[in-house]
Amino acid sequence: MSALAVTRLELRRLFVRPLAWVLGALTLAWLAWNFTLMLGSFLAAQIRLAALPDGPGYTDLVAVPLLAKLAELAFLVVPLLSMSALAGERREGRLALLLGMGLKPSRIVLGKYVALLVWLLAWLALVVAMPVALAHATAIDWGKLAAAALGMALLLASLAALGLACSAFASHPAIAAAAALVITLGLWAVNLGARMAGVDDGALNWLAMSSHLQPLLRGLVASPDVVWFVLLTVVSLALATRRVAAERERG
Amino acid sequence: MTLPQPLLKLEQASRRRAGRTAVQDLTLALERGQVLGLLGVNGAGKSTTLSMVAGALAPDSGRILLDGEDLAEHPALARRLVGWLPERAPLWQELTVGEHLDAHGRLRGLKGAALKQARARMVERLELAPLERRLAGVLSQGQRQRLGLACALLHQPALLVLDEPGNALDPVQVAALRTLIRDEAAAGTAVILSTHVLAEVTAVCDRVAILHDGALRHEGMLTSADHAALEQHFFAIATARAAA
Repeated sequence: MSALAVTRLELRRLFVRPLAWVLGALTLAWLAWNFTLMLGSFLAAQIRLAALPDGPGYTDLVAVPLLAKLAELAFLVVPLLSMSALAGERREGRLALLLGMGLKPSRIVLGKYVALLVWLLAWLALVVAMPVALAHATAIDWGKLAAAALGMALLLASLAALGLACSAFASHPAIAAAAALVITLGLWAVNLGARMAGVDDGALNWLAMSSHLQPLLRGLVASPDVVWFVLLTVVSLALATRRVAAERERG
Repeated sequence: MTLPQPLLKLEQASRRRAGRTAVQDLTLALERGQVLGLLGVNGAGKSTTLSMVAGALAPDSGRILLDGEDLAEHPALARRLVGWLPERAPLWQELTVGEHLDAHGRLRGLKGAALKQARARMVERLELAPLERRLAGVLSQGQRQRLGLACALLHQPALLVLDEPGNALDPVQVAALRTLIRDEAAAGTAVILSTHVLAEVTAVCDRVAILHDGALRHEGMLTSADHAALEQHFFAIATARAAA
C-alpha cells in the first residue's frame, strides 16, 4: 500500500516536471524522424528486396532498427530521469522524512521504480506504435516485433533499476546520472576487446548487455537472455534498497 | 497500582554523526499531553535527537520506546504515532499545497473519505485555503512552515516533533503556532519542540530539557514564572562551553 502511495507521488512528480516532458518530446521527435527516413529507404529498396528469397522485410529494416535507436537514447534518458529519484530526495531532506514516516526502504525503492517504469513503458509503447501504425499497409512479422519489444522492455526495466541504484549511492543527482551512464556503457561494451580478439564466448560475453539484447532484437527469445536482464534488475534494486536502509544508520 | 506508561522514552540513546558524538546517553520520557522544550545552542544535538525520535535516524546504542515498543524494531510505529516537522520543511517544489497534503495522507495510510476529511481539517486549521493550488516552490518561508506543520499533523499523531518551527514566522504566525501547540497538548498530543528561543519554551512548554554537546544538562518542569531562572541556567551552560 505504501509502495503504491510512493508510486503515485513519484508519477505525479514525473508528470509535472518539465524534464520528463522535454526528454519525451525530443526523443520521440528524433525517433519519428528516423522512422520516416528508414521507411523512405525501405520503400526505395522494396522492389529489389522483394526479388530476394527470404529477404529482409519491413520489420527487419524499419521496426527493429527503430527500437535499436530507442536503446541508444535510453542510455542517456534513463539516467537523466532516475538521477534525482533518491539522490535528490536525500539532498533536500525528503528521504529522511519518508523514512521518518516508517516506510520500509524496499517500499520506497519499489514505489519509485514502478513510477519510472510506467513512464519508460509508455515511452516504449509510443515508439512501437510508429511501425505498428502501418500494419494495415504492410506485412509485419509480429513474433519478431514482440521479441524486440520484450527485449526493449527488459532493457528499460534493468536500466531504470541501475539508475535508481546509482541514485541511491550518489550524493548528487549529476553524479548518479554520470555513474549510471558509465556503468551502462561499460556493461554494453565490456566484451568489445574480446570480440575484436575473436573470442565470442566466455564470461565477458556473458556479462555484456549487448550479447543479451541483440538476440532479442533478432527475434530470438532465450531464457538465459531474459534471466540476465531480470538478474541485473533484481541486483540493482536490492543494492538500492540496502543503501536506503543504511540511511537510518549512516544519517 | 501501575503508573501510566510514557508515550515516548529515550533510554541512554547515543548517536555519532560526521565523526563526532552528536548525542550521548540521552534519557528522557514524555507523557501524552505534555509539551517538552528542547533547548540548546547550535550543534548541541537537538536535531539529531529529534531525527532519532521521528524514526529517521537509528541510535548507535540505547533505545527509543514509542508507546512501550522499540522504534528500531518497529519503525512502522512512527508512521502511525509520530508527526515530524524537520528544521527546513522538506517539500516537493513542483507539487501544490493540496497535492502535498494528499501525498502525505496516502503515505500515512489515509485514503478516501478519511483523507478528504483530514485534508479539509488541516486546510482550515492552518489557513491554507488560499494557497491550496499554489506550488510549494513559490511559497514564502512562513507558508512553507505552515504547510510542513499541516503535513505533520494530518494523521493526528500522538507525538508531534517540531524542529525550530518558529523559524521564519512573523509575530502573528508565532502566536498562532503557540496556540496550535497548546491546543494539540490539550487534546492529548505529546509535543517535543526544539528551539533556541527561550521565550518560545516558557510560553508553551510544561517541561524543559537543555542539551549541551550532545548530553542532557538540565531537565525539569516549567512554570511561566521560570523565565529568568531558565535564562540564567541556559546561559551558564552556553558560556561554560565558550569558556571550555
